[in-house]
This record gives sequence, structure tokens and C-alpha cells, in this order.
Amino acid sequence: MLFLDLFVEGLVQGSIYALIAIGLTLVYGLLRILHVAHAGMFTLGGYLSVWATNASGSFVLSLLAAALAAGVAGILVYRLCYRPILHRPPHVALIASIGLYVGMEELFRLFFGPYGMSHTDPPLSETVGFFSMRLKYAEIAIMAGAVALISALAVVVNKTRLGMAWRATVAEPQMALSCGINNDRIRDLIFFIGSALAALAGAMVALVNNYAEPTMGAVPAYKALAIIVLAGLGDVGGTLLAALALGVIESFGTIYLGKALDRDAIAFAFMIVVLMLRPRGIFGKG
Amino acid sequence: MKTARIMLFLVAVGALSLMVPAATNADSVKIGMHAPQTGFAAADGNSAILGAQLAVEQANASGGVNGRQIELIVYDDQATPKESVPAATKLASSDRVDAAISGSYSGATRAAADVFQSYKIPYISAYAVHPGITRTGDYVFRSSFVGEVQGRAGAKLIGERLGVKKVSVLTLKNDFGKSLVAGFTEAAPLFGVDIISEYEYSIKDRQFGPVIAKIKDDNPEAIYATGYFFTAGPFVSQLRAAGVDALVIGQEGYDSQKFIEIAGKAANGVIITTSLDRDSDNAETVDFIRRFEAKAGYKVDMVAASGHTAVKALVEAMRKAGSTERDAVRRMLHEVSIEASTGTIAFNTLGEVKKDAQVQIVRDGEWRHHSVISDSVLLAPPDQ
Repeated sequence: MLFLDLFVEGLVQGSIYALIAIGLTLVYGLLRILHVAHAGMFTLGGYLSVWATNASGSFVLSLLAAALAAGVAGILVYRLCYRPILHRPPHVALIASIGLYVGMEELFRLFFGPYGMSHTDPPLSETVGFFSMRLKYAEIAIMAGAVALISALAVVVNKTRLGMAWRATVAEPQMALSCGINNDRIRDLIFFIGSALAALAGAMVALVNNYAEPTMGAVPAYKALAIIVLAGLGDVGGTLLAALALGVIESFGTIYLGKALDRDAIAFAFMIVVLMLRPRGIFGKG
Repeated sequence: MKTARIMLFLVAVGALSLMVPAATNADSVKIGMHAPQTGFAAADGNSAILGAQLAVEQANASGGVNGRQIELIVYDDQATPKESVPAATKLASSDRVDAAISGSYSGATRAAADVFQSYKIPYISAYAVHPGITRTGDYVFRSSFVGEVQGRAGAKLIGERLGVKKVSVLTLKNDFGKSLVAGFTEAAPLFGVDIISEYEYSIKDRQFGPVIAKIKDDNPEAIYATGYFFTAGPFVSQLRAAGVDALVIGQEGYDSQKFIEIAGKAANGVIITTSLDRDSDNAETVDFIRRFEAKAGYKVDMVAASGHTAVKALVEAMRKAGSTERDAVRRMLHEVSIEASTGTIAFNTLGEVKKDAQVQIVRDGEWRHHSVISDSVLLAPPDQ
């Protein structure tokens, strides 16, 4: 069943996009910065998980370590790179972010070497059959993981005091500060969560491809931008749905439009069409 | 905070300064080289440079050129024309190299070839496959296969040697993939190969789920998949995981131990056409593999052998010509015949080499000898 195969492959791809795009949309919602260097966290997650799995033999432990390390790196990026230039116009932060990303790519290369890294014994590589399909356990883990993590995050954002504090900081940073909400702490937390999710996505991509390489963040860097624009900037649930939709459209598009449109062009063609119909994105309000 | 940023800046400057070549020696013979040291193709660039350096060390140990030591000057071209042109211009005009080689991909090499031709500097492309490269002019040579020629070898391998007829083709959308597939498609009918479906992908793609789903639906006997180790590794691994067991036929872009590391067990049984035979009993090849692996600390690949071959050809021509005068070296390149790690190299009137195609297969996680395709008509490079 080709249709089913293509649909599920699209969902796997979309789940990866979703995990990357969440951090981006949260940061944009909070600081109005297009955080391109976010894709560097994705690469960092890929490298760290491969390296730690090879060293320790435990994939789960390595995932946690990669997420934690990338989360801390995310906080450092905010503190060292963005916070000092928050009062400048948005393009200043954007340029800083692009520069930071390019620098990170080269640092990965200097540190881990130009050849990339592979698992010596890739975990979750057994496959299981559904109807006519065969999927790696890793691919199933990606879909289940993305939906579970992002749903949990949506609940936190919408239902808890922490989420309320976050939304308050987004809407009225000054007012939130006067009410005793520590803006910096909220921002640290957002960078931590977003970067950790991107690292998990990187770890899973490095697992499915069995390859972490310095440039692996290049495509997600701009694909995720398309997704958050599609979803309506700053919307968590919408980002998940837009990412999944884009994954599926790319999957079918690669096969049926591949001759005319590049896979990466499909994403942007879709974005343009959506923005013509709904200028604030699929889920954007107003 | 400020100190942290200054520190970061200093680290960056330090890292950059490592890339600036050491002061050049006025007395030495200078060979220029451009190759990707950063960017997506840095791994191949690194191997090509190590191969070229090894050739220079060997030549210097055996007396250099007429007693003069050889110096290799390398610049990063990121495998893009926008970097290779300034690199080539700098090599030609400010370093004033006596000859040059490309350790890069087709796009970058085509652009740089124009520069070297206009300065009349003998220039050898080590492993770029686009047919346009040598047509730039009479100072431009290539010591490896033209893409089309290797594509034709692939058709013969599949249709005649392996006796497989129903084939799906996967094209990498760059000079490399397109010229291979052009040659493959042209020669396929000669060997009864029926191309049942064709797909394309971009060099940035690592996830092939949709294409694999469609190939599974097409049910071919073999897949002629063009690509490099970093695209082919994920492709083959995902292909086998999806339960497709059709033969996979690749080319010299797969030719790296890294392909086997990435694809893991799925790599076993993959067959490629290439320029390096790891099980060769040719003394030159055996010696090169031993020295390269000792120098590099990793397993040899086709790119390394190609970098080594290109330098060796230049040195040989300079020695035979008895000078580094550019026109003399250019003319001598057409006359010399060199025993190199990639086979016997002799250039035709266009500057192309005619040689056998090596076929390698992955067995138990190692590249091994499969067969040799020698067909002087089919594998004849263009000569005009």
C-alpha cells in the first residue's frame, strides 16, 4: 500500500520537524527573535547522543544527557548572545543568530572531525511490520515521542501556573516583572526546553540515518522557520499540526511533484499558498 | 561578559590562523591545490589533501623535481565555485604555483579550471566527474573517470555481469549524479537493462522514506543509486530496514569506509564502480594503501588515491620535462604514462585518461574486489 507507506513516512518526518520547530516558536513568542542557531542544538543533540551511546552503551541515558547538555547550551546562548542585544532592533539578533549557527557548524567540525559520527551498534534498529510497511522501532519512537512531549508541553503552557507566567512574560514583560515573575528565569526555561527538544530530534535523526554530521542542522534551520510561520508564530499545538502536515505533503510531493519541485521547495510553495489564504498562518488568530 | 566575548573572538582567530599556510620557500616547486576543508564535502577534501601530501612527501624523499623540493599549497574551496575561483586566482597570481590540482567536486572544479587555463597553468582534476572540465582548455587534465564513462560501466556491470534487467534509478541532483545517470541511461539498452522508474534527490537529503516506499512499490531487481557515502549510507540503511532487498549498485562516491560505518550490516552486498582496488596486487597500489593508512589513521578511500594520483602525474611530467616551465609540463603530460594507485594513467588529446573500471563489493563490513570492467570502446573517454 503505497499510500499508507507515504503517509506514515510523512508523519515520521513531520514529527522530527515538530520537535525542532517547537523551540523556535517558543523563543519567537517570547523574544521576537528568529533563533536560527536553534538548529545548532539539533546538531549538538545528534553528536552527543551518538558519542554517548557509543561510549556508554545506553541509548536512553545518552538521550537524557544530550537533552540536558543542549538545554544548558540553550541557556548559555540566551545569556551570552541574545540578552546583551535584546534592546536592539530584531535584525541584530537575527544576524547574531545566523553567525552563531555558522560558527557552531565549524566548531562541530573542528571538535568531532569532518567525517561525521555513526553508532557502532545502532539501538532500536530492529523493524516491525504493519500491513505492507516495515518500520524501525526508532521511527515509531520518534512519532510517539514527538506527540507525547509536545502535548505535555501544550498542557504545561495552557494549564499550569508556570504556563501562565510564561504567557504573562510574552504579553507584558514589564507587568509580569512587577507581579514577581522573574523574566530571565522564564526565558532560561524556554531556551532550556526548546533546545532540549531540538537535541532529542537531532538524536533521533542521527539514529535513523545512523549519521551525525556538522551540517545536519542546515535544512531544519530554515524548514522549521517555514513551519512556525505556517502555524502562526508562537502557537505550540498549531506547530505540531503544521509540522505533521508539512511532513505528509513533502512525502507525497517528493514522489508526485519531485520532477518539477525540489523536496525543500515544496515546503516553501506550501507556505506561500497558505499565507496567501491565511496571512497569519493556519492556526493564527485574527 | 565582555571578557567572555573577547576570549571567544581570540579562540576563533586562533582557529583561523591554523588555516593560513606557512611562508613559502622561493626555491621550491609549488603545486597548488583547492579542496573542501569546511562545509558538507570536508571529509572528501580532507582525504584528497592527505593523499596529495603523501605524494609530495614521497616525491621529495626521492629527490623532488631536479633537486628542488616540492611544496603543496592548499586552500579551502568549500566545494563551491564562489570559493574555488578566489582560491584558484590566489594560487595563480599571488602564490605563482607551477601547477595545480583540484581535490574538489565538479562545480568548484569547472569554475577553477577557467582560472588556471587563463593563467596557462597545468591543472589536473583528481576526482571531479563533469565532462565540461577538460573542455575548458589545453592546460586542463583529469586523472579519473568522466561521469558518463563510469555510468556506462555501471550499465555493463548490471546488465551483463550481474544479469539483472529491471532497474530503478536514483539521481543525485548535481553534476556528479546527473552525468553518471546520463552515461548509465545511454548504455542501458546495449545491455538489455530496462529502467522502470527514476527518482531524484538533493544533496541535503538524508531521509529517503517516500522514495523508498515508491521503489518498494516498483519492485525492481536492482537500484542504480548515485550519491556519496553520506547520502548513500542512510539510503541503503533505510532501504533494507523497509524490507527492500533489491541489489544496490553505486559508484565511486560510496567509496569510503564511512559508507559501511553508516549503513552497518545493510552495506553488505552493495556493489560499486570505482577507481581503487583494495585487493590489488599492483605494487604501487599496495604501497599507497599501506602508507596512506599509516599517515591518515583511517581506511583508504578512492578520493585519497585520486589526490595522490594527480600529484604523482604532475611530478612525473615535471621530472620528464626536466623543468617546471608550464608549457613543457603541459606537453609532457600528454606523453607520460604513470603507474599510480588508481591504475596506469595516460592522458589523451583532451586530457582524459583511459583505464579499466574497478568493481568493489562490501563483504563482512569491508570493501573487497568484485571484478574489473575493461572495455576500451565502452569506457573510451571523450577526446574532443
